[in-house]
Amino acid sequence: MPILLVEDNERLAKLLKQGLEKASFRIDIVDTATDAIDALAAVKYDVVILDLGLPDEDGLTVLRTMRQRGDTSPVLIMTARGSVQERVAGLDTGADDYLVKPVALEELVARINALLRRPGTLMGTALRLGNVTLDTTARQVFVDERPQILSSREIMILENLLRRSGRVVPKNFLENGLYGFGDEVSSNAIEVYVHRLRKRLADLGANIEIHTVRGVGYMIGEGKAAQ
Amino acid sequence: MRLHFQSIIARIAALYIVTVAAACIAMPLALYYLLKSAVDELHRSGLAEQATEISRFLHFTEGKWELRLPSELADAFAEAYGRYSYAVIDRDGRVLFSSLSSQAPLTERDPLRGDAFYFYRKRDAKDIAGASVPFTIDGNRIWIQTAEDLAHRDVQIDDVVAEFFPRVGWITAPFLVVLLLIEIAIVRSGLRPILAASHLAARIGPMATDIRLPESGIPHEILPLVHAVNAALDRLEQGFRAQREFTANAAHELRTPLAILRTNVDLLSDDITVKALRQDIDTMSRLVDQLLNAAETDALVIGPTETADLRAVCTEIVAYMAPLAVKLGKSLAIAEDSAHVLIRGNADFLGRAVRNLVENALSHTKPGTTVEVRVTADPAILVLDEGPGVPMAEREVIFQRFWRRDQRRRGNFGLGLSIVSRIADAHRGWVSVDNRPTGGAVFSIQFDPSVVIAMSETSPGDVQPSGQSPQSAGKLAGAPHVTAGYQT
Repeated sequence: MPILLVEDNERLAKLLKQGLEKASFRIDIVDTATDAIDALAAVKYDVVILDLGLPDEDGLTVLRTMRQRGDTSPVLIMTARGSVQERVAGLDTGADDYLVKPVALEELVARINALLRRPGTLMGTALRLGNVTLDTTARQVFVDERPQILSSREIMILENLLRRSGRVVPKNFLENGLYGFGDEVSSNAIEVYVHRLRKRLADLGANIEIHTVRGVGYMIGEGKAAQ
Repeated sequence: MRLHFQSIIARIAALYIVTVAAACIAMPLALYYLLKSAVDELHRSGLAEQATEISRFLHFTEGKWELRLPSELADAFAEAYGRYSYAVIDRDGRVLFSSLSSQAPLTERDPLRGDAFYFYRKRDAKDIAGASVPFTIDGNRIWIQTAEDLAHRDVQIDDVVAEFFPRVGWITAPFLVVLLLIEIAIVRSGLRPILAASHLAARIGPMATDIRLPESGIPHEILPLVHAVNAALDRLEQGFRAQREFTANAAHELRTPLAILRTNVDLLSDDITVKALRQDIDTMSRLVDQLLNAAETDALVIGPTETADLRAVCTEIVAYMAPLAVKLGKSLAIAEDSAHVLIRGNADFLGRAVRNLVENALSHTKPGTTVEVRVTADPAILVLDEGPGVPMAEREVIFQRFWRRDQRRRGNFGLGLSIVSRIADAHRGWVSVDNRPTGGAVFSIQFDPSVVIAMSETSPGDVQPSGQSPQSAGKLAGAPHVTAGYQT
């Protein structure tokens, strides 16, 4: 899984490469926008980590060139520029994530993994959290490597939560998923399914937890091991 | 009393109307006077000529004066005709000949004065104009008086004078009014570039500092003003640019070493020292964020077309902050009966304000409690917690920059709430804090109703996708990463 790191600060680039290689990513480093554009034309990268303050041109030029070429590789902007306008400009230009330096290595690895988990980037990936694994191709849930039987609606909800683990999934997003089953969605349908899924996971001894963010949606995270 | 006119056109028009009114009166009067004196002059020379005409038929023969007027001349002077009259007077003042049966002189003034003169008098209730002209005929001095009844004066010439006012005199009025209108049109077209420049100047603000007033087409008299304004704008733009550059440079200069430091420390194996170092770096990073945020917020100006859906803003922040709340063992929620209010405002900065309030609430409450965000139709954003509340004495000062209750507390620089206050201010709102009857604090950002663009209240428990604002639904559902926009 090659990652392109576009960063002009030599020391930071070296340290990041070291840290990310520890997390078993393969890293290529370039330090100018021109080199980045050339590298992206030659190699298909799974993720691009892009600094904005480059010596030759603005990092957004690299992003714009990529999107114009039809290159949809996920781009994570990692920059010292943190103003509201700059974030909005970055995301509007087509960045998939925007981090302001300094970024904890752990956080960076999590964000890269989140980008790689995206639907469309890698189909048929196994989603894993705690002792729960979801094979998205086989639609099969494992707890502690043992296959379990869950309803297709529960799997749909679990998949959406796992794809964004550690982040809130809006309730209406899950509701749209239910429409996909041709269901009449009553006002509390999602609550009912989430409640059922939560109980089911607890019964199976899963050490993950579904948190309710009232008024917004749900979030899955590692919890204390269920008894 | 002095009249003040705001517009140049009104000023010019007022001066012009006064001038025109004066001209309307003075010009016909002057013309009338000139015309009348010209006509009078004509009459006088006519009378003198008549006297000369009579003198040609006057002879002194053998110590006796003789006057033999041809019949057509005699007819003109006939008393019956009544228009003209004459009298011939000798050096002794005797009337020798007269067209009048009374044989009286035509004027009571001493006729024997040396020079010719003209006179006006009344005779039998008639206005008479006359002339007395001396002649020397056959070596003898003699005076011939001629007179004309003004009632019969030369009709054509008199008509010209009499008709002058109603006919000709008043032509000047409309003529001058037309001139006034033309004048206004000229001034208006002359002022048009200034008007255009004014429209352009109205668009200048902190968001658009690159506009300059055009100098072509501006009248010379006003050009210095335009020059001065443009020069002032140059300096202003420089100031804004310097501030933006400073913030950008400071961000780069401060964050890059922190990033190197942080990555370096992250590569070390976990132990107590490394953990402490990480916390220090986090604290330092947070201070840098807050300082830059404060600098950025100070320069905040709401653009005329910016709108923000308060519920969508709050939903996004709650979604973004929820993982932290969960990590701290606390709940974060949006009140489901929150109103949907669209206001004139900057959604990103409002989000930052809500985030600071939520962060503040999360840092002052115990695990197991809930922080709730609520949008009311007032409109207002409320952040309610179940913490200890805020003592009465601190309710004003906590919004001041750098105020801290506990100076030793890590990561609190007394900037967060002052940023909220500044953002509320920029939205014509104000922030306040109160304690809930059930305990806990409630922070509210109250907006002036004038900033509301649209509103729709939802009934409690309405969780249909259609009940969600399309903006919030779209942003959260379609692109969850957008919440990263609030991360620092």
